[in-house]
Amino acid sequence: MTLDLISVAIGIIQTLVLVVLAPLLTGIMRKTKARTQKRIGSSILQPYYDMIKLMKKDEVVSESSSWIFRASPWINFVSVVAAACFVPVMIFYSPFGLAGDLLVVIGLFGLGRFFTLLAGLDVASSFGGLGSSREMMVSALIEPALFITVFALSLTLGGTNLSTMVESATHSTVLAPSIIFAAISLFIIILAETGRLPFDNPATHLELTMMHEATILEYSGKGLALVEWSQSIKQIVLFGLFVNLFVPFGISTAESFAILGIGLMFFVAKTAFLSIFIAFIETKVAKWRLFRVPDLISMAVASSIIGVIFFYLK
Amino acid sequence: MADNNVLQISAAVLLIATFAVVSRRGFMDWLNAYRYQSIVLAAITALIASITGIWEIYIAAGLTLLIKAIIIPKILLRITGKLTLEVRTEISPYISIRASVLISAMLVALSYFLTQQISIKTDSIVSTFLPVSVSLFLIGLFVMVVRKKALSQVVGLLILENGLFLFATALTHGLSLVIEIGIFVDILVGIIISAILMSRINYTFDSLSVENLESLRDD
Repeated sequence: MTLDLISVAIGIIQTLVLVVLAPLLTGIMRKTKARTQKRIGSSILQPYYDMIKLMKKDEVVSESSSWIFRASPWINFVSVVAAACFVPVMIFYSPFGLAGDLLVVIGLFGLGRFFTLLAGLDVASSFGGLGSSREMMVSALIEPALFITVFALSLTLGGTNLSTMVESATHSTVLAPSIIFAAISLFIIILAETGRLPFDNPATHLELTMMHEATILEYSGKGLALVEWSQSIKQIVLFGLFVNLFVPFGISTAESFAILGIGLMFFVAKTAFLSIFIAFIETKVAKWRLFRVPDLISMAVASSIIGVIFFYLK
Repeated sequence: MADNNVLQISAAVLLIATFAVVSRRGFMDWLNAYRYQSIVLAAITALIASITGIWEIYIAAGLTLLIKAIIIPKILLRITGKLTLEVRTEISPYISIRASVLISAMLVALSYFLTQQISIKTDSIVSTFLPVSVSLFLIGLFVMVVRKKALSQVVGLLILENGLFLFATALTHGLSLVIEIGIFVDILVGIIISAILMSRINYTFDSLSVENLESLRDD
């Protein structure tokens, strides 16, 4: 894997695909949720319309806020786009994998989340503080589960480099049991990281129980558009990681246009399927009490621990 | 090799089902999870039967499905139908549910470690299911110890019994059918007796908490 022109071009296209398709995935999830609740729902392109509308509007910034509030959407956006560079989409490698691995992706998400939390505290509204402290609690609890899962995954797939991992997932013929446990754990983690229903209700806008929405409550106009866009990019990156690591079926292994196109179609189909599945789950469960959230996370930790055990002691 | 992989995946699915039982708080939740666990156990038994080629194990699998997935949940449902939701739900166990899930994961690690120390002549069935059955055994015991309600202690007993059944089937490639049937009748009677005891406890104390049984009374 060298850094020649074609592979760099493929890498840039992969990142662009993730960035451009991200709001579409949010739209698909909203539409599915609406249909399962017997509503017609807005078009799946609605997130794009929302973003265009918000881009045209002026931004209102609180007088008591500092530079952090204004910088945070940009830092968040740049960090998730940088994370998107490392994720293989339609071909089994990403040329920027030379610069970073799965741990860098997690770290970049952490950076974005950290600045979102700071911005929530910065405007000194009571909602922002509440949301920040709740989100901090969940992210602190998620961390051990996430790292043991990464440990189990990288043991089984031979390294933390995403290109190596997806490549060995593509070539493996037997389903290792540790992969099943890692998949369960990563699924719970994705629900928590993207603020899905047992943890946080993404549809609320003014409710005492909200977590992510509370930290971005003060944003308006262009800032809000950026924040929402980066949230959906984060979501598509995590979904893409999940489908490419556990269901690598259909990902292309050669650098030709036709095969890349097929790989892209498979990727879109798989992520859309995963998002529809998650939307069904969201329809089925209610939001959990904040202090019951650790129950689910402890399931993720236990599952990832057993994944590691299965690797070592089989 | 492919056989071995199927065995390991089935063991993994059984462990997942066991964790589903451990992590549930409400009575209906864990009863349904226990049903799934028993179905998985029956499937594993049938798998062992098809690998070893002993037809008696198929009967054991069928009996597992019939008794553990259908009859025992029915009995428990009928007996507890009159109890209120509050009596049936495990509200404050000695060790919280989330901690007991983590400890159960540690118990799985422990049982894998322990069974590796035993040097016996093994084939792939024994080496896959022996650690899993021991971990089911330990998890069942642990759940029985840390729960306060008599009803939730039954779930520990049921997990433990499933572990014992798997242990016997995997290690001996099928007990004699008479013994199998004896064990099934045994667990059935055990459940009925514990159900009667529970209804007596509930009648006397208006709750199923075993803490009430700890103090001696004069009257």
